[in-house]
Amino acid sequence: MDFNAAEEEEFGFSRNYFLAKEMGSSGKKSARKLSDINVVDEQELREASANIEPKHQNDVADLINSYKSLYPKWVFDLRCGFGLLMYGFGSKKSLIEDFASTALAEHSVVVINGYLQSINIKQVIIALAEILWEQLKLNRKVSSGSLPKVQQPFSSRSMDDLLSFLDGPQMDEKDNFICVVVNNIDGPGLRDTETQQYLARLASCSYIRVVASIDHVNAPLLWDKKMVHAQFNWYWYHVPTFAPYKVEGLFLPLILAHGSSKQSAKTALIVLQSLTPNAQSVFRILAEYQLSHPDDEGMAIDNLYSISRERFLVSSQVTLNAHLTEFKDHELVKTKRHSDGQDCLYIPLTKEGLEKLLSEIS
Amino acid sequence: MAPSLNDDSPPSTIDEAFTENNLQPFFVLQKGSSRKSDRKSSGTGRTRRIDLSSASPKNSANIEDEKEDENMNLRMEAFEFVWSKIESTIKDVLRDINTNVFSEIQTWVHQSFDTIRSLGTPEFPEATQSFPIISDANSKRLFTGLVLTKNMEFVDDLLTFEELGKHLKYQGYRVANLSSLDFTAKNGVGGCLRSLLRQFLMSSLDPADMSILASWYREENCNNPVVVIIDDIERCCGSVLSDFILMLSEWVIKIPVILIMGVATTLDAPRNILPSNALRCLCPFEFTLGTPAERMDAVVEAVLVKPCSGFIIGHKVAVFMRNYFVSQDGTLTSFIRALKIACTQHFYTEPLSVILLEFASEEDNLVLEIERHGLLPEVLWKHVFELPSCQRVRLNKPTSESLAHAFSEWKRLQNQWRAVVLCLYATGKGEKVRLLDLFCEAIDPKSYNQGEFDTNMKAEKDPVLSSSRIKGHVICKAVRLVRDLSTVQLGNLLKIWENLTVGIPEINGKVKELLSLLNVEDGKSSKKDLIVTPRRHTSRIQLNIEKDSKSLSDRAANLIECMVRDYMHPIECIPFHEIFCFKDVDKLRLALIGDPRRRIQVDLLEFQKLLCCRCCTSSSNALLPSMHDASIMYKLAQEHGDLINLHDWYQSFKSIVLCPNSKRKPRRSPLPKKRKGIKEAESQSEASIQARFCGAVTELQITGLLRMPSKRRPDFAQRVAFGL
Repeated sequence: MDFNAAEEEEFGFSRNYFLAKEMGSSGKKSARKLSDINVVDEQELREASANIEPKHQNDVADLINSYKSLYPKWVFDLRCGFGLLMYGFGSKKSLIEDFASTALAEHSVVVINGYLQSINIKQVIIALAEILWEQLKLNRKVSSGSLPKVQQPFSSRSMDDLLSFLDGPQMDEKDNFICVVVNNIDGPGLRDTETQQYLARLASCSYIRVVASIDHVNAPLLWDKKMVHAQFNWYWYHVPTFAPYKVEGLFLPLILAHGSSKQSAKTALIVLQSLTPNAQSVFRILAEYQLSHPDDEGMAIDNLYSISRERFLVSSQVTLNAHLTEFKDHELVKTKRHSDGQDCLYIPLTKEGLEKLLSEIS
Repeated sequence: MAPSLNDDSPPSTIDEAFTENNLQPFFVLQKGSSRKSDRKSSGTGRTRRIDLSSASPKNSANIEDEKEDENMNLRMEAFEFVWSKIESTIKDVLRDINTNVFSEIQTWVHQSFDTIRSLGTPEFPEATQSFPIISDANSKRLFTGLVLTKNMEFVDDLLTFEELGKHLKYQGYRVANLSSLDFTAKNGVGGCLRSLLRQFLMSSLDPADMSILASWYREENCNNPVVVIIDDIERCCGSVLSDFILMLSEWVIKIPVILIMGVATTLDAPRNILPSNALRCLCPFEFTLGTPAERMDAVVEAVLVKPCSGFIIGHKVAVFMRNYFVSQDGTLTSFIRALKIACTQHFYTEPLSVILLEFASEEDNLVLEIERHGLLPEVLWKHVFELPSCQRVRLNKPTSESLAHAFSEWKRLQNQWRAVVLCLYATGKGEKVRLLDLFCEAIDPKSYNQGEFDTNMKAEKDPVLSSSRIKGHVICKAVRLVRDLSTVQLGNLLKIWENLTVGIPEINGKVKELLSLLNVEDGKSSKKDLIVTPRRHTSRIQLNIEKDSKSLSDRAANLIECMVRDYMHPIECIPFHEIFCFKDVDKLRLALIGDPRRRIQVDLLEFQKLLCCRCCTSSSNALLPSMHDASIMYKLAQEHGDLINLHDWYQSFKSIVLCPNSKRKPRRSPLPKKRKGIKEAESQSEASIQARFCGAVTELQITGLLRMPSKRRPDFAQRVAFGL
């Protein structure tokens, strides 16, 4: 029966896995290198990827339009207290934002872009509290009641306070909710446990309804049963759109474009800016050396030490080593064995990148 | 501040705004307008309906639309009514199950408090300071109630502990509920203390300190215990919990704290997570909650079997929900959630579900006022008489009387069904017959229409004729159990049956008859016992008594068999059941269990089915260049092992993209052979193919179906999913 089918399925999984494993290790594994492909310049690649002609544009548009007939159902579900969870291949960003702006026109809508690298969930919740406050004030004016005064601005309140404000008792109107649209609730900016816990608590608030999308096949692993059943209260919808993941993929590296240029000048800059001025200056010495000696394999450590000491940047080998460890940890600097046997340092960046970097930190 | 809270002015074009907003961590898409009041008035459609009908005549389409809207709002209202009824019923049932344990706990708390107080109360300055340190081990003991939940799924117990908190608060105790989230290594013991202060003092002071709590307790002039409930200690961070316990024990004379902790596994749990010095402070007592299966049966009984809201689920839905509970999720919470989803679906799809609002609230003589439900009469009648169950009975005249009659008939049959099911349950209760299983069998329409009868009205009209064979394993078991009962047990059972069948004279009469027979027998046998008889006779008399009781229990078994056969009409065999009964199991499954892992892969592998494009629909499995890049790539990836050589992958992708007309099967041949159609190749620049390759890889990476090359294996990507 059902149970057997489930067992069979599970068995199928493991069988497939081992078959695949076997295929990989049975010597048939190709040893070709990625570098055998004549990869075009990164610049060109990025340009070309910006100009990719999307396929099936009309069909995709038709498909997305066909979901419009579901909008009333979605509103119904939201009003019943569920959270909507959209999944399926293709970017669902425009779909759910369109839904929010057309079908939920009378509600406030806040969009969180989970595909971005870092999101401060507290700021989101503060913003939500402010919106709700305004809304309540507005309603109260009409119904001539008075709200208790805010003792403290929302931005200085604790998370618990904010959440309990959003979870306040629904007084006059039942359908008074703020819709929180979360694009990629499984995205890199929201993936950590703490944020997910906050999102779950947010979702269970009486004034909040969540419409979220996931793209990762393992996204449900982010949640435990309490979050799924008692807080998010998901109502699943399979809505593949096949729309290109434009924004969602913006921050992912192109697979053919990594290599030496992987460590881009931009990330190096961010790291450098967080270091002390002295450390920055040490890095500058190294960079300038590398620019003025393009054919050298790198700068000898002794050499770097004597110059840094002359400029009063370091007082001892120990301090220099501390700086160097920091650089190496962030892959700003690498060591290489010089042909004469001495260790030397170099920065894994192109000449242009290095110049740009130097101009930025000065 | 929110980045875009300030720009109230609408952006010039929507696209522009979107692209700018795309890079904001979050933004306000729109603010709620005051149009809400508009909707509100239509929400309370019942009062407005009168103005509507008297309004100036509009064209019919408009009216229909409006009616539709109104109906939808009414359905929403009906849903809210029905669901709140179900929800409160469930809450009551769960509370009732725990009443005994709760009062047990309450008495214990009280006693513990007295014990603490008997050790003496400190003077004011002492009571709010941490010094002098108490060295007496006796006065550092922390009374701890370990509540065994008998359930690994702590979700189901969240509500229990909440209710327990309420129950104790009601007694005047000070109660704080802490969850395992308060005991994280990150926040340390300060986190739980802050949470305590928040709940007791209603404020969040930053330097969280026990002395604040102590002076609060002093100020409150409390003569009541302080109860701290931790819902699941196994999920707490052990070191934080032990710190917390040590801290409380230092203060226990000053603040009489009594701990209550939920334990999911066994009594060993505290020993496993706490160090010995913390364990030494505890003075444990044990309480036990009901098992999940017991709770489930109680909920099923109250919500699905007994009259609660009028909303009912069909057989397939019930079986699905049962299987999901038994073999997949195992939580009552998800069962309730599934029920709610079913309920929402039902009210959304069934226009007549509005009737439930009155059906649930009014007792008898339901008078249907069609107009009231925001439906045009013609539409409604058409809908009613197109219900499949209705077509089977073919009512001669579609009038509201006939409908009302059908509804009262529905109620009658439901009552009979309920009585039989409860009788069966009462029979099998001691023998581990689960009501959920019984329920699933009892609503199986096949069990009713089996044998020589097919699903036609004949079977419904003359149910007496159906065969004696009873389908259903659990029901059979219950019937068999009756045969094996002793006289005393049988008497008890029959009394229960008598109570359950009150209101259904047909059955009740028969039960009474049996009961009186039994009493006569009883009298006989007791009389016989009194008479002193020679030895050799005793055995025969004994035998006789046994025989009598045998025949009696046989008769009882026959009776219940007959009840099952004649009076247990599964809901789905009754006309008009579609109005009350939700049957669409597939919709429920999709909404309850999203299966992204499988479905996203299917999306990629069979995208033609979804997109319905003309260019890619070919009978063969060949990969066409017009297909979606990610689809091509994912199909190609299926031919690799767990590692995909990027070079090979790229070459196969390229060869497919470049030869639009060859319908060859995809091969792993990586060599880019010189083809004749090289002109076409040139038209597509290398760069654009590479870019498409990168794009497709990125998309697969976003879906999580692909792991990017690691440093150790820079030339290989890793497959994540094997098989659907």
